[in-house]
Amino acid sequence: MSESLLDRHHYLLRRLHSLSGIMPAGAFLISHLTTNSAILWGHANGKWDGMHGGAAEFQHEVSFIHSIPFLLLIEIFGLWIPIAFHALLGIYYARSGKSNLASYGYGGNLRYSLQRISGYIGLIFILYHVATLRWGWTFLVPGGTEWSAEFAGSTMGAIMQGSPDGFTAMGFAIACFYFLGVTLLVYHFANGLWTAAITWGLTISEAAQKRWGYVCAGLGVGLMFAGWAAIIGFAALDVDKARETEMQMIESHAATPEQADTLSTATSKEDH
Amino acid sequence: MSMPSQQQRVIVVGGGLAGLAATIRICESGLPVDLFSLVPVKRSHSVCAQGGINACNEIARQQGYSEYEHFDETVYGGDFLQHQPPVYEMAHMAPRIIDLLDRMGVPFNRTAEGQRDLRLFGGSLYKRTHFAGATTGQQLIYALDEQVRRFESEERVTKWEFWEFLRPIIGDDGRCVGIVAQDMRTMQTRAFRADAVVMATGGCGIVFGKSTNSVMCNGAAASRCYQLGARYGNGEFIQVHPTAIPGADKLRLMSESARGEGGRVWVPGMRNEDGSWGPHPDSARDPRQVPDDERYYFLEEKYPAYGNIVPRDIATREIFQVCMDGLGVGGGNMVYLDLSFKDSEELERKLGGIMEIYRKFAGEDPCEVPMKIFPGVHYSMGGLWTQYQPKDDLRGMEPDSPINMMTNIPGLYAFGEVNYQFHGANRLGANALLSCIFDGLFSGVGVVNHVRNHSGQPASGMSQSVFDSAVKAEEDKIADLTNRSGGENPYVIAKELGEEMTAASTVVKSGPRLEQALGTLGELRDRFGRISLSDGAVWTNQNLSWTRAVGDMIALADVILRGGLERRESRGSHFRTDHPERNDADFLRTTVATYDSGSGQARIEYEPVEIGLVEPRARTYGRVESEESEEKQEQTV
Amino acid sequence: MTAQQQSNGTTATPAESAGTRTVRFRIKRQDGPGKPVRWETFNVPVQASSAGSGSANVISCLQWIAANPKTTEGKDSTPVVFDCGCLEEVCGACTMVINGKVRQACSCLMDDYAPNDGDEVMLEPMSKFPVVRDLFVDRRRLFDTLKRVKAWVPIDGTYDLGAGPNETPDDQQDRYRLSTCMSCGCCLEACPQYTLEDDEAKWATSFAGAAVISQVQYFNDHRTGATLKKKRLDEMSKPGGVSDCGNAQNCVQVCPKEIPLTESIGKVGRAVTFHNIRKFFSGS
Repeated sequence: MSESLLDRHHYLLRRLHSLSGIMPAGAFLISHLTTNSAILWGHANGKWDGMHGGAAEFQHEVSFIHSIPFLLLIEIFGLWIPIAFHALLGIYYARSGKSNLASYGYGGNLRYSLQRISGYIGLIFILYHVATLRWGWTFLVPGGTEWSAEFAGSTMGAIMQGSPDGFTAMGFAIACFYFLGVTLLVYHFANGLWTAAITWGLTISEAAQKRWGYVCAGLGVGLMFAGWAAIIGFAALDVDKARETEMQMIESHAATPEQADTLSTATSKEDH
Repeated sequence: MSMPSQQQRVIVVGGGLAGLAATIRICESGLPVDLFSLVPVKRSHSVCAQGGINACNEIARQQGYSEYEHFDETVYGGDFLQHQPPVYEMAHMAPRIIDLLDRMGVPFNRTAEGQRDLRLFGGSLYKRTHFAGATTGQQLIYALDEQVRRFESEERVTKWEFWEFLRPIIGDDGRCVGIVAQDMRTMQTRAFRADAVVMATGGCGIVFGKSTNSVMCNGAAASRCYQLGARYGNGEFIQVHPTAIPGADKLRLMSESARGEGGRVWVPGMRNEDGSWGPHPDSARDPRQVPDDERYYFLEEKYPAYGNIVPRDIATREIFQVCMDGLGVGGGNMVYLDLSFKDSEELERKLGGIMEIYRKFAGEDPCEVPMKIFPGVHYSMGGLWTQYQPKDDLRGMEPDSPINMMTNIPGLYAFGEVNYQFHGANRLGANALLSCIFDGLFSGVGVVNHVRNHSGQPASGMSQSVFDSAVKAEEDKIADLTNRSGGENPYVIAKELGEEMTAASTVVKSGPRLEQALGTLGELRDRFGRISLSDGAVWTNQNLSWTRAVGDMIALADVILRGGLERRESRGSHFRTDHPERNDADFLRTTVATYDSGSGQARIEYEPVEIGLVEPRARTYGRVESEESEEKQEQTV
Repeated sequence: MTAQQQSNGTTATPAESAGTRTVRFRIKRQDGPGKPVRWETFNVPVQASSAGSGSANVISCLQWIAANPKTTEGKDSTPVVFDCGCLEEVCGACTMVINGKVRQACSCLMDDYAPNDGDEVMLEPMSKFPVVRDLFVDRRRLFDTLKRVKAWVPIDGTYDLGAGPNETPDDQQDRYRLSTCMSCGCCLEACPQYTLEDDEAKWATSFAGAAVISQVQYFNDHRTGATLKKKRLDEMSKPGGVSDCGNAQNCVQVCPKEIPLTESIGKVGRAVTFHNIRKFFSGS
């Protein structure tokens, strides 16, 4: 009998699927959300005198990331491919089951169903998120703002608000979509971490699973707050003030010609 | 598939402990087996056995017990009605059977040191019962089922589950050469060839309507053999278990192990001036409120030595009598079986299975309150009549003899509960699992020898006509049942049969009552001739299957009633109010019933019992009032 | 037997004087595989329970319908086909879906499910196994999977070879709990990862389910049984093995024997992890 590739390496693929969800996807999620939440907690950081603290701290983080060499390659091989692998295999696996929450409304079953739903919606969200912010598909952004790494906070704020000039109805919808996407992905990660411990055989007894469940829930709640903080931070951002701050940072940090160039295009767009 | 093959094969009908043990033994010797069962074998009635399995072990031995003691207890418990050589053999093989089950992975309860734990059981003063919680039967059958699954995966066993046995096929030379069976899903009826057929089809509790038995234990398979010429032995000996909980659909067993582990049977009562007990005016009140001096522990008072672990027939009659005397709980038919004073952790470990059953079906926790129980039909000591080859000194059977446990039809065997051997007039608790497995393992060898050595033509080479006409006969019978249209309802007939059998032929019987029941049975037989099926489907027709079985139950009921009527004495489970004493002179004999196809009735004959090893003695279990009479009887014997 | 024997005696049982109520059974019926599904309702008189008679249960009601197969509309019907055996929840046969949840019909007491006159009880066959007829399904896949994982202790035959391995009472208790699995299929019916598979050829690669995984643990835990451990873990690594578990943990919620199925899954998961890591590095 000829086995398909999937069947032949069933166990290995299952484990790689599990692993890819934790590393790099999960690990990235942690760093990404803590970074982005800087837009809110940056205010509390005293070192950005006279500037918009959130925008400044966030810009500082983004600039650091964008200074990493071979960033695109790292993104492709360290993030996009593993996440695509996790997603595609995840869809394949999820299709083997059939939710029966209506008959068996137990907590575990709810988590099981949510894990799959959050995977599907989370994937759509990630695609949107990366396409609009990384690949420049601005036609999907209400208001058409293109995100810029030099004006990280202000452009992001404009995207979330629907325009650089404050909230629009579409902007609100996008903010809600972000809220939903982030929430579900955090759940997906935290619950995935909990089930992975069972699958790998780390937690066996009911008590151990319960204890590990608290750890995962704690992590999830923490991440959730970080994610929500970022969304609130961007949604409530004073875009003008943030742009000023970013300008100040570019000037004080010996901006390169390319940076200046981007700067002018970014501003011209916003002027429009 | 058996049909065209030149190979010798064996058919085992029934996938309980006896059938599975036989399958394993026969397979192991190299013969392929076709295993037929009404249900997936793992769901056979053996799963209901709770208490344990008896065998002498080292600890018991060093306390003075022995295989011989086990043998003697079994014979004494059976009121001396069983042939002694097979019992002797069984008791002596028992320790090795336990070892084997242990090797198969049965999770027997363990002592602190890791040895197999033992508990006390009815009819013995020694702890000699091995157990796995209170689901021993389930654990044993699973172990055997697993071994058979292994053979099945090696294609040495073919399982025919959901196939119903319809008849043995008897060749021109009188040998059994196969069976006719019907697939209860597709309704296909066909013949299967075999050089030997082992019936391991269990008991017939359903003849009594409600019993502790599973729904398929209606005795139809045995009855079908009987109606085709197999003899039926000791049919009137039906064990009524003292402790069951009544239900709307069946009676649920509360294992004897509850008493073996210290459970006490009592009723609320008031002690009279003369020391006897009378009914308590408020006997329905919360049992926890009943002070100790108002609790009548009647078994302990009457049987100081054995107390609550007297054999079943005795406990049953005492409970029944107490209720007849108006001492039952609330004046009804109920006594208390009390475990509530025991440590609940220990109860869970040793009796968890039955505690759970009581909790689920009676809604109360036996750790907190005494259980309310009453006797219920449980086991058939009687069954298909079989032969055995004793050793010269009667100490056991010749191990290789093809005669062992063969019915009067050559090549047709009966193992397990459907076999009338081993238990005489009353079975001791925890001997059933033993006798089932013993039959399969010990006499399975004889089956193999029969197949290899019989002088007749192999079944695979016999002419097709024998098989075709057997199938035709069954198809005709099906057509006949389907075509009847008198409007009688088979379920109603079965219900009435059960009620009459229970009323006339269980704990207490009498000549007039049995005759009355035979009259009722005649009417039921007539009405059965006018039944109408409510389902005419040709796919998975349980209505047809049940109706067919009702006819067979009526034939078997006749054996039970007529045997009881003719046996004008009281022995073991068979108690006649009009003949309350045991009568060895006339009735220390096996009842042998043969079917008269003209009248549909049984012809009763008797044959001597082999009592060459243990002399029959009075069976009193040290009952207080009877010590004197026991001595007297012992002198006269 | 109480009431029956009594009816010939002198006293009356208290059970017989109490009243009856009507319970309406809504039953999903199907004449055979591929045949259309229909629903029928039956009004069943149920005796008030007492210590003398016990509560009616789904089985006693189905038995009543068998004897009186007339629907509430007065239409003549046929006895409902269903599977049952011991009626005390140790054989696993009478498993069905009652009011939307899987369980044994025998332990489903009318006192709990339909305490009042006119209460309705809905019966359906298990949905994860092919229907044979009405409430009777074909659970061969479960037994087939047990074969696949070599669910037995490979003894050297029935010869007289002495006792098996000793074990501590704690170990015995652990094994005993797993050994009470009666292959009823509740855990499979409730499992979102276990789906109906009509095609027998696909059983070998379809999810084994909690019952079987737990049996793998049971046999791996026995000293002689463990001689087949590697083979079982290989099987558990394949499609349909333990990694197909989605951790919904419905299995442990619905198991009538309260078997710690999720612990078994965790243990087998761990064993499979070690087994495959070992295999990766040492080749066997």
